[in-house]
Amino acid sequence: MNVKYGIAILFLSLLFQATMKAQTTNSSEINPYRVVTRCSSHGITLLNNLDTYLSGYNHTGIGYNFNHENFRRAHTGKYQWRYQTLFSTIAGYTKQHSNNQFTLLAKYTWGGYHPFEINQRLQLLAGAQIQAAAGALYIPTNGNNPVSAKMRLALAASGMAIYHLPINGHDYVMRYQLDIPIAGVMFSPEFGQSYYEIFGLGHTGNIWHFAHPFNSPSWKHTLSIDLPIGNKRHNVTVRLSYTADIYQSKINGLRTHIYSHAFTFGFVKTIYKVKQGDNIKAYSPY
Amino acid sequence: MSGCIEEDEFSNSPVGNFEALWDIVDRKYCFFEQAEQNFGLDWQQIYNEYRPRALACENNSQLFDVLGDMLDELRDGHVNLSSIYGTSYYWDWKSNYPANFSDSLQRNYLGSNFKLTNGIKYNIIKDSIAYSYIGSFESGFGSDNLSVMLMNLAHCKGLILDIRNNGGGMVTAAEGLASHFIAETTTAGYIQHKTGSGHNAFSSPKELLLEPAKGAIWLKPVVILTNRGVYSAANYFIMLMKGLPHVLVIGDTTGGGSGLPLNSTLPNGWTVRFSACPMLDKKGNHTEFGIAPDLKIDITSNDWNSGRDTMIEAACTLIYSLYDKKSL
Repeated sequence: MNVKYGIAILFLSLLFQATMKAQTTNSSEINPYRVVTRCSSHGITLLNNLDTYLSGYNHTGIGYNFNHENFRRAHTGKYQWRYQTLFSTIAGYTKQHSNNQFTLLAKYTWGGYHPFEINQRLQLLAGAQIQAAAGALYIPTNGNNPVSAKMRLALAASGMAIYHLPINGHDYVMRYQLDIPIAGVMFSPEFGQSYYEIFGLGHTGNIWHFAHPFNSPSWKHTLSIDLPIGNKRHNVTVRLSYTADIYQSKINGLRTHIYSHAFTFGFVKTIYKVKQGDNIKAYSPY
Repeated sequence: MSGCIEEDEFSNSPVGNFEALWDIVDRKYCFFEQAEQNFGLDWQQIYNEYRPRALACENNSQLFDVLGDMLDELRDGHVNLSSIYGTSYYWDWKSNYPANFSDSLQRNYLGSNFKLTNGIKYNIIKDSIAYSYIGSFESGFGSDNLSVMLMNLAHCKGLILDIRNNGGGMVTAAEGLASHFIAETTTAGYIQHKTGSGHNAFSSPKELLLEPAKGAIWLKPVVILTNRGVYSAANYFIMLMKGLPHVLVIGDTTGGGSGLPLNSTLPNGWTVRFSACPMLDKKGNHTEFGIAPDLKIDITSNDWNSGRDTMIEAACTLIYSLYDKKSL
């Protein structure tokens, strides 16, 4: 069911991009300088892990979540672009009865987007990402199979909706982002293969797999709000966000899911890269 | 919001935990074919027999005993159930056989001035015979430890490598030790793993290549002493060493345990360990039920009573003979 939704969203975003292209290339204002938004955020995440290589049962618990995002606007010729780099990590501790499990995951994504201004407040962005994820689930008491490594490199479809809400002269920015990996490669041992055989003996035959939404239906969506605090000259912007990161796979008879629901808090910093002679005015970072 | 990939979970009830355990073994255990051939195991029949017993359990302690009994039907020392009630073990692979080892007898040869390096005891006994006892592969000993030991013993006529009662440990420790007894890369055996849940779903056997150690290499005569207490990684060590041109294995058949064990859990959090990846010898044969020695020797009761270790005595005789012939 979710796979169908993913494909439908991808097609809709491509269709949307094709129909809007003529409008945006002519109507958009070309920004004379680049605006970079950075945000480092920290928070907690609720985890629900299943990895049948380690255990047939869900382990639940909490973890620490860190994100660092760079979001910048740029232009190439007449076209406007948005680029996002995002580094995120999760360090978690989960349990199934008295069995402890530790989670460590890191993900780096680089995305490029084309903006479509629906109106003065609403902007949609459609684009693609390259995602690189690595990490491991670790059960210390599991003898010869204590670790299940996670490695995936994927191309993802990605879209955003950004809504500006002016209140008392402040620009409150709400953003929703959805990323869906479409194709890539991922690591998985065979059904009963030990890591000793893979890494100790070098038997690496059937461990890299083509990953697609049918054997690895994964997605991530983030809802955030940027809240300016203070007066117009001296203010800081705080970002509150919720991220649901759903990582799943079903390969070689092994089933995995890592469901992370993270609530984070961070400060937003906007950097205007100005050329000499630029007329500086308050551009939105988005 | 959650996703769509889940595992079929069994309920956390006596029958749910019974079914979960039976199912884990059914899908992941690797020696059904050998167990059927050797003692007629029928795993489906085991399910039919034990399910009513699990249903009748009135508490977790009883359930633990029933599930432990069910695992014992596999007759595999690598299959255990662990919980707050203890750990179930199948011991008959060892306890039904002669001990063939006594540390009191060993002391008569090793003396009290032996050297000790990372758990390995060694000394020179009789007339220039090197004797080394390795009782476990649990703690890793480095190649440097072994090199120093072999250099200290280099002037001896041969080496008795006594691994009786070595219940195993790390396969890498066994490989590290064996690598000091080969001069060139050797095919030491094969390994398989399960590729699916079927009882016969296995990968094709992949070669286990053993590289020579970077330190001292011992190519003089070696006589290895074994008994039924040689199990798991120690059984693997015999698998690696047996058949080398300068090595003889004497004593009793080893205890076996040739499957690399993996772990899993039950709905109630109890953990189960089971043999998962079979290791085969150089000829592609299973060694799950033990490896026969080149020369079968038991400690005789006469020797036992007179403080002599029949196996060490035989090993010394063999080394003198081999040294005199200069070849095996």
